[in-house]
Amino acid sequence: MTPDETAAQAQAEVVELPAASRATDIALNELELVYAFIYARVGNRADAEDLTQQVALKAIPRLRQNAAASSIRGYLFATARSVLGGFWSTRLGLSEAELREDLLLAPPTDPPSEEGTETVQRILVELSDNYRRVLELRFLHGYSLKEVAKEMNSTVGAIKVMQLRALRAAAKVRPE
Amino acid sequence: MNGKRENRVEKIVSDLLRGRRLKLRGGDAEEKAAITTAARLAGARQGPQRMQPAFRKRLARALEQPQGEGWVTRRAALVAGLGLAAGAAAGGFASRAFEPQPVHASDPIRPSNGRWIDVAAMGDLVEGQGKRVTAGGVGAFLFRHGDEVTAVSSICSHLPCELWWDGGHSHLVCPCHPATFAADGHPSDPYRHSALNKVYVRVVGGRVEVLGTK
Repeated sequence: MTPDETAAQAQAEVVELPAASRATDIALNELELVYAFIYARVGNRADAEDLTQQVALKAIPRLRQNAAASSIRGYLFATARSVLGGFWSTRLGLSEAELREDLLLAPPTDPPSEEGTETVQRILVELSDNYRRVLELRFLHGYSLKEVAKEMNSTVGAIKVMQLRALRAAAKVRPE
Repeated sequence: MNGKRENRVEKIVSDLLRGRRLKLRGGDAEEKAAITTAARLAGARQGPQRMQPAFRKRLARALEQPQGEGWVTRRAALVAGLGLAAGAAAGGFASRAFEPQPVHASDPIRPSNGRWIDVAAMGDLVEGQGKRVTAGGVGAFLFRHGDEVTAVSSICSHLPCELWWDGGHSHLVCPCHPATFAADGHPSDPYRHSALNKVYVRVVGGRVEVLGTK
């Protein structure tokens, strides 16, 4: 969609809907993308909801200006990155500067909601066969440690160590 | 990180794969790269996620509230350390803005068998500089303000580590993570940790006494 078309669509929405509903709809659609972005980084619904809520709260004054979606997206994602930085910093007791490399909080690509999955695939491809296998079985296929051990003809203890090493190795991969 | 690191990381992975919230503790920072990566992998395992309908409705309601009426779920309040009474937010929302709140100093340390312990002479204290003292089991930093003295705990409010006084920057520093505190015990960094516990202190005949233990 070109910028002109985007503006035209936003204008059309102004005409068709009450201002409050229009702003809420736009905000919710944008917050869906924020939620997916955050979920892809914290890996669980409870934390993702809390953090999305924090983003929404911080952004409410901006959202109430009835701005078009395109103009609030950048603001929401900047806020989301800030909130995520604060989340990890507080949970791990580290400064955001110390965490910067681990957080990979680069601005999302378009569409933002698919970026997490693609990034993970690019990371896994870079790992050795054993490391990739253990992470794929555990995270993508939902195997228990015992099942992974059986699948890989190993022991639970050895798989546990391999999982830690694989995660460390995956953390060092910088996709793109 | 206590115990074997692979066990601790496995616990975190296991929780994530069960859809549980991330529960981390201080020592986990040693494996920060592995943990943040585990969260990303867990987040990607089911593809892009959408908000649950109930959560989306709550967001919509909040967005349409009149300006100035804040909202916050009880869970988020607790996570953020706002300390809202559970009852106040029992309906899921509280009419209180979710903005950074001023951190109030934590409660003073009141040992059950407390006794006043002589720890220093007034002359030992330099205005604007912290002095580390111990009163039995209570560690404290003393600060002189003219003829008065205040004291805060020498233990960080976030990780249980002994603080040290950085005279150059005039604040207390935690050696275990980048937390700093002003002489009044309030955090001087942006991470909003709780304030340090205050310590009871008094001046008697030019001597400084702290309420400590035997």
